[in-house]
Amino acid sequence: MLLIGVLWIWFSRAPSGGLSQSGVSTPRKGFQAPDFSLVDANGSMIRLSDLRGQPVVINLWASWCQPCRAEMPALQRVYAEYQSQGLVLLGVNATNQDDAAAARAFTEELGLTFPILYDSQGAVAKLYALRALPTTFFIDRAGVIREVVIGGPMSEALLRIRIQQLIERPFEGMP
Amino acid sequence: MLPILQIGPLAIQFPGLILLIGVWLGLSLAEKFAPQRQVSPNHIYNLVFTALIAGVIGARLAYILRYPQAFIPSPLSALSLNPGLLDPLGGAAAGILASMVYGQRKKLPLWAVLDSLTPFLAVLAIAINLSNFASGAGFGAPTHVPWGIELWDAKRHPTQIYESLAAAGILLILWPGRPHLQSWAAGRYFLIFLASSSLARLFLEAFRGESILLPGGIRLAQVVAWLVLAFCLFQLQRLSR
Repeated sequence: MLLIGVLWIWFSRAPSGGLSQSGVSTPRKGFQAPDFSLVDANGSMIRLSDLRGQPVVINLWASWCQPCRAEMPALQRVYAEYQSQGLVLLGVNATNQDDAAAARAFTEELGLTFPILYDSQGAVAKLYALRALPTTFFIDRAGVIREVVIGGPMSEALLRIRIQQLIERPFEGMP
Repeated sequence: MLPILQIGPLAIQFPGLILLIGVWLGLSLAEKFAPQRQVSPNHIYNLVFTALIAGVIGARLAYILRYPQAFIPSPLSALSLNPGLLDPLGGAAAGILASMVYGQRKKLPLWAVLDSLTPFLAVLAIAINLSNFASGAGFGAPTHVPWGIELWDAKRHPTQIYESLAAAGILLILWPGRPHLQSWAAGRYFLIFLASSSLARLFLEAFRGESILLPGGIRLAQVVAWLVLAFCLFQLQRLSR
Protein backbone atom coordinates (compact mmCIF):
# COMPACT_ATOMS: atom_id res chain seq x y z
CA MET A 1 0.00 0.00 0.00
CA LEU A 2 2.82 2.39 0.91
CA LEU A 3 4.61 1.63 -2.36
CA ILE A 4 1.44 2.36 -4.35
CA GLY A 5 1.20 5.59 -2.35
CA VAL A 6 4.71 6.63 -3.40
CA LEU A 7 3.91 5.86 -7.04
CA TRP A 8 0.67 7.87 -6.82
CA ILE A 9 2.50 10.86 -5.30
CA TRP A 10 4.97 10.73 -8.19
CA PHE A 11 2.29 10.16 -10.84
CA SER A 12 0.06 12.99 -9.58
CA ARG A 13 2.76 15.61 -9.10
CA ALA A 14 1.96 19.10 -10.39
CA PRO A 15 2.93 20.03 -13.97
CA SER A 16 6.25 21.79 -14.49
CA GLY A 17 4.58 25.23 -14.49
CA GLY A 18 3.15 24.58 -11.02
CA LEU A 19 -0.50 25.14 -10.13
CA SER A 20 -0.51 28.90 -10.66
CA GLN A 21 -4.01 30.33 -11.13
CA SER A 22 -2.70 33.80 -11.92
CA GLY A 23 -3.65 33.55 -15.60
CA VAL A 24 -7.33 33.27 -14.69
CA SER A 25 -9.17 36.42 -13.74
CA THR A 26 -11.61 35.91 -10.86
CA PRO A 27 -12.13 37.54 -7.42
CA ARG A 28 -10.39 34.83 -5.42
CA LYS A 29 -7.08 34.57 -3.57
CA GLY A 30 -4.35 33.33 -5.92
CA PHE A 31 -6.10 34.49 -9.11
CA GLN A 32 -5.63 37.56 -11.29
CA ALA A 33 -7.71 40.51 -10.05
CA PRO A 34 -10.49 41.30 -12.57
CA ASP A 35 -9.77 44.55 -14.40
CA PHE A 36 -12.10 47.54 -14.20
CA SER A 37 -12.08 51.28 -14.70
CA LEU A 38 -14.06 53.80 -12.67
CA VAL A 39 -14.15 57.57 -12.25
CA ASP A 40 -12.88 59.06 -8.99
CA ALA A 41 -14.27 62.07 -7.11
CA ASN A 42 -12.22 64.47 -9.29
CA GLY A 43 -13.55 62.97 -12.51
CA SER A 44 -10.30 61.15 -13.37
CA MET A 45 -10.58 57.66 -14.82
CA ILE A 46 -8.67 55.01 -12.82
CA ARG A 47 -8.01 51.65 -14.45
CA LEU A 48 -6.80 48.80 -12.24
CA SER A 49 -4.50 47.29 -14.89
CA ASP A 50 -2.68 50.66 -15.17
CA LEU A 51 -1.57 50.19 -11.56
CA ARG A 52 0.40 47.01 -12.37
CA GLY A 53 3.75 47.19 -10.58
CA GLN A 54 2.25 48.70 -7.43
CA PRO A 55 0.62 46.95 -4.49
CA VAL A 56 -3.11 47.75 -4.51
CA VAL A 57 -5.79 47.48 -1.84
CA ILE A 58 -9.42 47.68 -2.97
CA ASN A 59 -11.97 48.38 -0.24
CA LEU A 60 -15.62 48.09 -1.24
CA TRP A 61 -17.83 50.11 1.09
CA ALA A 62 -21.07 52.05 1.56
CA SER A 63 -21.84 55.01 3.80
CA TRP A 64 -24.76 53.26 5.53
CA CYS A 65 -22.60 50.26 6.44
CA GLN A 66 -21.40 50.62 10.06
CA PRO A 67 -18.40 48.24 9.84
CA CYS A 68 -17.28 50.14 6.69
CA ARG A 69 -17.43 53.42 8.58
CA ALA A 70 -15.64 51.90 11.57
CA GLU A 71 -12.64 50.63 9.56
CA MET A 72 -12.24 53.73 7.36
CA PRO A 73 -10.05 55.74 9.83
CA ALA A 74 -7.62 52.78 10.08
CA LEU A 75 -7.50 52.56 6.27
CA GLN A 76 -6.68 56.28 6.10
CA ARG A 77 -3.92 56.00 8.75
CA VAL A 78 -2.32 53.01 7.05
CA TYR A 79 -2.57 54.63 3.61
CA ALA A 80 -0.84 57.77 4.92
CA GLU A 81 1.94 55.58 6.30
CA TYR A 82 2.53 53.36 3.25
CA GLN A 83 1.68 55.71 0.37
CA SER A 84 5.34 56.70 0.06
CA GLN A 85 6.22 52.99 -0.45
CA GLY A 86 4.01 52.80 -3.52
CA LEU A 87 0.78 51.58 -1.92
CA VAL A 88 -2.40 52.36 -3.88
CA LEU A 89 -5.62 52.24 -1.88
CA LEU A 90 -8.88 52.44 -3.82
CA GLY A 91 -12.07 53.00 -1.86
CA VAL A 92 -14.80 51.72 -4.17
CA ASN A 93 -18.16 53.03 -3.04
CA ALA A 94 -21.01 50.64 -3.86
CA THR A 95 -22.96 53.64 -5.18
CA ASN A 96 -25.68 51.49 -6.75
CA GLN A 97 -26.75 50.60 -3.21
CA ASP A 98 -25.75 53.87 -1.53
CA ASP A 99 -26.54 57.57 -1.70
CA ALA A 100 -23.73 59.32 -3.60
CA ALA A 101 -24.19 62.57 -1.65
CA ALA A 102 -24.03 60.72 1.69
CA ALA A 103 -20.91 58.90 0.52
CA ARG A 104 -19.19 62.18 -0.48
CA ALA A 105 -20.16 63.80 2.83
CA PHE A 106 -18.69 60.85 4.72
CA THR A 107 -15.37 60.93 2.87
CA GLU A 108 -15.11 64.71 3.47
CA GLU A 109 -16.00 64.32 7.13
CA LEU A 110 -13.15 61.83 7.58
CA GLY A 111 -10.76 63.75 5.34
CA LEU A 112 -9.90 60.66 3.29
CA THR A 113 -6.97 61.30 0.96
CA PHE A 114 -6.98 58.05 -1.01
CA PRO A 115 -9.00 57.84 -4.27
CA ILE A 116 -12.69 57.14 -3.82
CA LEU A 117 -14.29 55.57 -6.88
CA TYR A 118 -18.03 55.53 -7.46
CA ASP A 119 -19.45 52.24 -8.72
CA SER A 120 -22.78 53.73 -9.78
CA GLN A 121 -23.79 50.81 -12.04
CA GLY A 122 -22.63 48.11 -9.63
CA ALA A 123 -20.23 46.78 -12.28
CA VAL A 124 -17.29 46.31 -9.87
CA ALA A 125 -19.59 44.83 -7.21
CA LYS A 126 -20.72 42.27 -9.81
CA LEU A 127 -17.21 41.65 -11.16
CA TYR A 128 -15.88 41.08 -7.63
CA ALA A 129 -18.92 38.96 -6.61
CA LEU A 130 -19.63 41.32 -3.70
CA ARG A 131 -21.71 39.51 -1.07
CA ALA A 132 -21.10 41.56 2.05
CA LEU A 133 -19.87 45.05 2.91
CA PRO A 134 -17.13 45.87 3.52
CA THR A 135 -15.00 43.54 1.42
CA THR A 136 -11.29 44.20 0.92
CA PHE A 137 -8.95 42.76 -1.72
CA PHE A 138 -5.15 42.84 -1.33
CA ILE A 139 -3.50 42.72 -4.76
CA ASP A 140 0.22 42.32 -5.39
CA ARG A 141 2.38 44.14 -7.96
CA ALA A 142 1.66 41.45 -10.58
CA GLY A 143 -2.10 41.99 -10.19
CA VAL A 144 -2.67 38.72 -8.29
CA ILE A 145 -5.12 38.74 -5.37
CA ARG A 146 -3.21 37.69 -2.24
CA GLU A 147 -5.97 38.05 0.35
CA VAL A 148 -9.70 38.71 0.52
CA VAL A 149 -11.24 39.94 3.76
CA ILE A 150 -15.02 39.69 3.77
CA GLY A 151 -16.74 41.77 6.47
CA GLY A 152 -15.32 44.14 9.00
CA PRO A 153 -14.23 46.22 10.67
CA MET A 154 -10.71 45.04 9.91
CA SER A 155 -8.18 45.57 12.64
CA GLU A 156 -5.36 48.00 11.93
CA ALA A 157 -2.78 45.30 12.66
CA LEU A 158 -4.26 43.03 9.99
CA LEU A 159 -4.13 45.87 7.48
CA ARG A 160 -0.52 46.65 8.29
CA ILE A 161 0.57 43.02 8.04
CA ARG A 162 -1.17 42.37 4.75
CA ILE A 163 0.11 45.62 3.20
CA GLN A 164 3.65 44.98 4.43
CA GLN A 165 3.48 41.50 2.85
CA LEU A 166 2.33 43.03 -0.46
CA ILE A 167 5.14 45.58 -0.41
CA GLU A 168 7.80 43.00 0.43
CA ARG A 169 6.60 40.50 -2.17
CA PRO A 170 9.01 40.44 -5.13
CA PHE A 171 7.53 41.60 -8.42
CA GLU A 172 7.83 38.79 -10.93
CA GLY A 173 6.36 40.82 -13.80
CA MET A 174 3.40 39.79 -15.87
CA PRO A 175 2.17 36.22 -15.37
CA MET B 1 -20.58 28.14 -3.26
CA LEU B 2 -22.32 30.13 -0.52
CA PRO B 3 -19.80 32.16 1.51
CA ILE B 4 -22.43 34.46 3.01
CA LEU B 5 -25.89 33.48 4.21
CA GLN B 6 -28.06 36.59 4.12
CA ILE B 7 -30.98 36.45 6.57
CA GLY B 8 -32.67 39.85 6.45
CA PRO B 9 -30.09 42.41 7.58
CA LEU B 10 -27.87 39.64 9.00
CA ALA B 11 -24.90 38.43 6.90
CA ILE B 12 -23.72 35.10 8.34
CA GLN B 13 -20.38 33.59 7.26
CA PHE B 14 -21.79 30.25 6.12
CA PRO B 15 -18.48 28.30 6.09
CA GLY B 16 -17.94 29.23 9.75
CA LEU B 17 -21.50 28.22 10.60
CA ILE B 18 -20.95 24.78 9.00
CA LEU B 19 -17.81 24.31 11.12
CA LEU B 20 -19.71 25.26 14.30
CA ILE B 21 -22.48 22.77 13.46
CA GLY B 22 -19.78 20.16 12.76
CA VAL B 23 -18.15 20.73 16.16
CA TRP B 24 -21.52 20.46 17.89
CA LEU B 25 -22.67 17.31 16.06
CA GLY B 26 -19.26 15.66 16.34
CA LEU B 27 -19.00 16.40 20.03
CA SER B 28 -22.52 15.07 20.66
CA LEU B 29 -21.67 11.84 18.84
CA ALA B 30 -18.36 11.42 20.70
CA GLU B 31 -20.03 12.08 24.07
CA LYS B 32 -22.75 9.52 23.30
CA PHE B 33 -20.32 6.69 22.58
CA ALA B 34 -17.50 7.58 25.00
CA PRO B 35 -18.90 5.39 27.87
CA GLN B 36 -18.38 2.31 25.65
CA ARG B 37 -14.66 2.94 26.07
CA GLN B 38 -14.90 3.67 29.78
CA VAL B 39 -14.31 7.38 29.21
CA SER B 40 -16.63 9.92 30.82
CA PRO B 41 -18.53 12.13 28.32
CA ASN B 42 -17.70 15.08 30.58
CA HIS B 43 -13.99 14.47 30.05
CA ILE B 44 -14.51 14.42 26.26
CA TYR B 45 -16.47 17.68 26.38
CA ASN B 46 -13.94 19.39 28.66
CA LEU B 47 -11.02 18.11 26.61
CA VAL B 48 -12.41 19.43 23.31
CA PHE B 49 -13.49 22.71 24.91
CA THR B 50 -10.06 23.19 26.53
CA ALA B 51 -8.31 22.43 23.22
CA LEU B 52 -10.54 24.86 21.30
CA ILE B 53 -10.11 27.73 23.77
CA ALA B 54 -6.35 27.15 24.09
CA GLY B 55 -6.14 26.80 20.29
CA VAL B 56 -7.75 30.18 19.64
CA ILE B 57 -5.67 31.95 22.31
CA GLY B 58 -2.49 30.21 21.14
CA ALA B 59 -3.20 31.05 17.51
CA ARG B 60 -3.62 34.73 18.33
CA LEU B 61 -0.53 34.87 20.59
CA ALA B 62 1.58 33.12 17.95
CA TYR B 63 0.39 35.61 15.35
CA ILE B 64 1.27 38.57 17.61
CA LEU B 65 4.73 37.06 18.21
CA ARG B 66 5.21 36.70 14.45
CA TYR B 67 4.24 40.30 13.69
CA PRO B 68 4.79 42.29 16.91
CA GLN B 69 5.55 45.54 15.07
CA ALA B 70 2.03 45.60 13.55
CA PHE B 71 0.41 45.51 16.98
CA ILE B 72 2.50 48.27 18.57
CA PRO B 73 0.60 51.17 16.89
CA SER B 74 -2.78 49.51 17.57
CA PRO B 75 -2.52 47.16 20.59
CA LEU B 76 -6.30 46.70 20.73
CA SER B 77 -6.00 44.74 17.46
CA ALA B 78 -4.82 41.86 19.66
CA LEU B 79 -8.45 41.49 20.78
CA SER B 80 -9.91 41.80 17.26
CA LEU B 81 -12.44 39.16 16.23
CA ASN B 82 -10.86 38.95 12.79
CA PRO B 83 -9.91 35.32 12.01
CA GLY B 84 -7.15 36.57 9.71
CA LEU B 85 -5.08 37.34 12.82
CA LEU B 86 -4.64 33.69 13.79
CA ASP B 87 -1.62 31.45 13.26
CA PRO B 88 -2.95 27.91 12.51
CA LEU B 89 0.25 26.07 13.54
CA GLY B 90 0.52 28.02 16.80
CA GLY B 91 -3.15 27.28 17.46
CA ALA B 92 -2.76 23.56 16.79
CA ALA B 93 0.31 23.36 19.04
CA ALA B 94 -1.45 25.20 21.88
CA GLY B 95 -4.60 23.06 21.49
CA ILE B 96 -2.67 19.78 21.56
CA LEU B 97 -0.53 20.93 24.49
CA ALA B 98 -3.57 22.05 26.51
CA SER B 99 -5.41 18.78 25.88
CA MET B 100 -2.29 16.81 26.87
CA VAL B 101 -2.04 18.77 30.13
CA TYR B 102 -5.75 18.16 30.77
CA GLY B 103 -5.38 14.45 30.02
CA GLN B 104 -2.34 14.15 32.32
CA ARG B 105 -4.03 15.98 35.20
CA LYS B 106 -7.16 13.83 34.92
CA LYS B 107 -5.04 10.69 34.34
CA LEU B 108 -6.98 9.80 31.17
CA PRO B 109 -5.90 6.71 29.18
CA LEU B 110 -4.43 8.07 25.90
CA TRP B 111 -5.62 5.45 23.40
CA ALA B 112 -9.12 5.12 24.87
CA VAL B 113 -9.51 8.91 24.74
CA LEU B 114 -8.30 9.01 21.12
CA ASP B 115 -10.81 6.25 20.27
CA SER B 116 -13.56 8.25 21.98
CA LEU B 117 -12.59 11.39 20.07
CA THR B 118 -12.67 9.59 16.70
CA PRO B 119 -16.40 10.21 15.96
CA PHE B 120 -15.81 13.91 16.70
CA LEU B 121 -12.85 14.02 14.28
CA ALA B 122 -14.80 12.10 11.61
CA VAL B 123 -17.74 14.53 11.70
CA LEU B 124 -15.33 17.49 11.80
CA ALA B 125 -13.62 16.18 8.64
CA ILE B 126 -16.99 16.21 6.81
CA ALA B 127 -17.75 19.71 8.13
CA ILE B 128 -14.34 21.09 7.05
CA ASN B 129 -14.85 19.84 3.49
CA LEU B 130 -18.42 21.15 3.29
CA SER B 131 -17.17 24.46 4.70
CA ASN B 132 -14.54 24.54 1.93
CA PHE B 133 -17.31 23.90 -0.60
CA ALA B 134 -19.27 26.87 0.76
CA SER B 135 -16.27 29.20 0.71
CA GLY B 136 -14.78 27.92 -2.56
CA ALA B 137 -11.53 26.91 -0.81
CA GLY B 138 -9.75 23.64 -1.56
CA PHE B 139 -11.00 23.84 -5.14
CA GLY B 140 -10.24 21.29 -7.83
CA ALA B 141 -8.07 21.29 -10.92
CA PRO B 142 -9.72 22.16 -14.26
CA THR B 143 -11.36 19.13 -15.87
CA HIS B 144 -13.70 17.93 -18.62
CA VAL B 145 -15.40 15.20 -16.56
CA PRO B 146 -19.23 15.47 -16.83
CA TRP B 147 -19.60 15.97 -13.05
CA GLY B 148 -17.20 18.94 -13.02
CA ILE B 149 -18.52 22.14 -11.42
CA GLU B 150 -18.18 25.73 -12.59
CA LEU B 151 -15.97 27.45 -10.05
CA TRP B 152 -13.44 30.26 -10.29
CA ASP B 153 -13.92 30.75 -14.00
CA ALA B 154 -13.40 27.12 -15.02
CA LYS B 155 -15.03 23.70 -14.95
CA ARG B 156 -13.28 21.95 -12.06
CA HIS B 157 -13.16 18.68 -10.16
CA PRO B 158 -15.57 19.05 -7.18
CA THR B 159 -12.75 18.10 -4.80
CA GLN B 160 -14.62 19.36 -1.74
CA ILE B 161 -17.47 16.97 -2.59
CA TYR B 162 -15.05 14.09 -3.24
CA GLU B 163 -13.45 14.73 0.16
CA SER B 164 -16.83 15.17 1.94
CA LEU B 165 -18.05 11.88 0.49
CA ALA B 166 -14.82 10.12 1.47
CA ALA B 167 -15.08 11.49 5.03
CA ALA B 168 -18.79 10.49 5.21
CA GLY B 169 -17.93 7.01 3.91
CA ILE B 170 -15.21 6.60 6.56
CA LEU B 171 -17.65 7.68 9.30
CA LEU B 172 -20.29 5.28 7.99
CA ILE B 173 -17.89 2.31 7.85
CA LEU B 174 -16.47 3.19 11.27
CA TRP B 175 -19.84 4.15 12.79
CA PRO B 176 -19.22 4.11 16.57
CA GLY B 177 -22.39 2.12 17.30
CA ARG B 178 -21.15 -1.01 15.46
CA PRO B 179 -20.93 -3.83 18.02
CA HIS B 180 -17.69 -5.42 16.75
CA LEU B 181 -15.77 -2.19 17.41
CA GLN B 182 -16.16 -2.72 21.16
CA SER B 183 -13.87 -5.75 21.07
CA TRP B 184 -11.03 -3.88 19.35
CA ALA B 185 -7.87 -3.14 21.32
CA ALA B 186 -7.56 0.42 22.60
CA GLY B 187 -6.20 2.67 19.85
CA ARG B 188 -7.11 0.43 16.93
CA TYR B 189 -10.31 2.38 16.14
CA PHE B 190 -8.49 5.74 16.10
CA LEU B 191 -5.56 4.41 14.06
CA ILE B 192 -7.85 2.85 11.43
CA PHE B 193 -9.75 6.13 11.15
CA LEU B 194 -6.51 8.11 10.81
CA ALA B 195 -5.10 5.65 8.26
CA SER B 196 -8.32 5.75 6.16
CA SER B 197 -8.43 9.55 6.25
CA SER B 198 -4.75 9.79 5.26
CA LEU B 199 -5.31 7.34 2.41
CA ALA B 200 -8.27 9.39 1.16
CA ARG B 201 -6.23 12.60 1.30
CA LEU B 202 -3.25 10.94 -0.40
CA PHE B 203 -5.51 9.91 -3.30
CA LEU B 204 -7.79 12.96 -3.57
CA GLU B 205 -5.13 15.66 -3.19
CA ALA B 206 -4.13 14.81 -6.79
CA PHE B 207 -7.37 16.41 -8.04
CA ARG B 208 -6.87 19.70 -6.21
CA GLY B 209 -6.19 22.90 -8.12
CA GLU B 210 -4.21 24.47 -5.28
CA SER B 211 -1.58 22.62 -3.27
CA ILE B 212 1.60 23.60 -1.47
CA LEU B 213 4.33 22.21 -3.69
CA LEU B 214 7.74 20.79 -2.89
CA PRO B 215 10.56 20.80 -5.46
CA GLY B 216 9.64 18.68 -8.48
CA GLY B 217 5.95 19.52 -8.16
CA ILE B 218 5.43 17.01 -5.32
CA ARG B 219 2.39 17.93 -3.23
CA LEU B 220 3.24 18.50 0.44
CA ALA B 221 -0.17 17.27 1.68
CA GLN B 222 0.38 13.91 -0.03
CA VAL B 223 3.79 13.49 1.59
CA VAL B 224 2.34 14.30 5.04
CA ALA B 225 -0.61 11.95 4.41
CA TRP B 226 1.81 9.17 3.36
CA LEU B 227 3.91 9.64 6.53
CA VAL B 228 0.79 9.57 8.74
CA LEU B 229 -0.43 6.45 6.91
CA ALA B 230 2.93 4.75 7.41
CA PHE B 231 2.90 5.63 11.14
CA CYS B 232 -0.66 4.26 11.53
CA LEU B 233 0.16 1.00 9.72
CA PHE B 234 3.26 0.55 11.88
CA GLN B 235 1.27 1.15 15.08
CA LEU B 236 -1.55 -1.15 13.94
CA GLN B 237 0.98 -3.91 13.30
CA ARG B 238 2.36 -3.44 16.81
CA LEU B 239 -1.16 -3.62 18.27
CA SER B 240 -1.96 -6.87 16.46
CA ARG B 241 1.14 -8.65 17.80
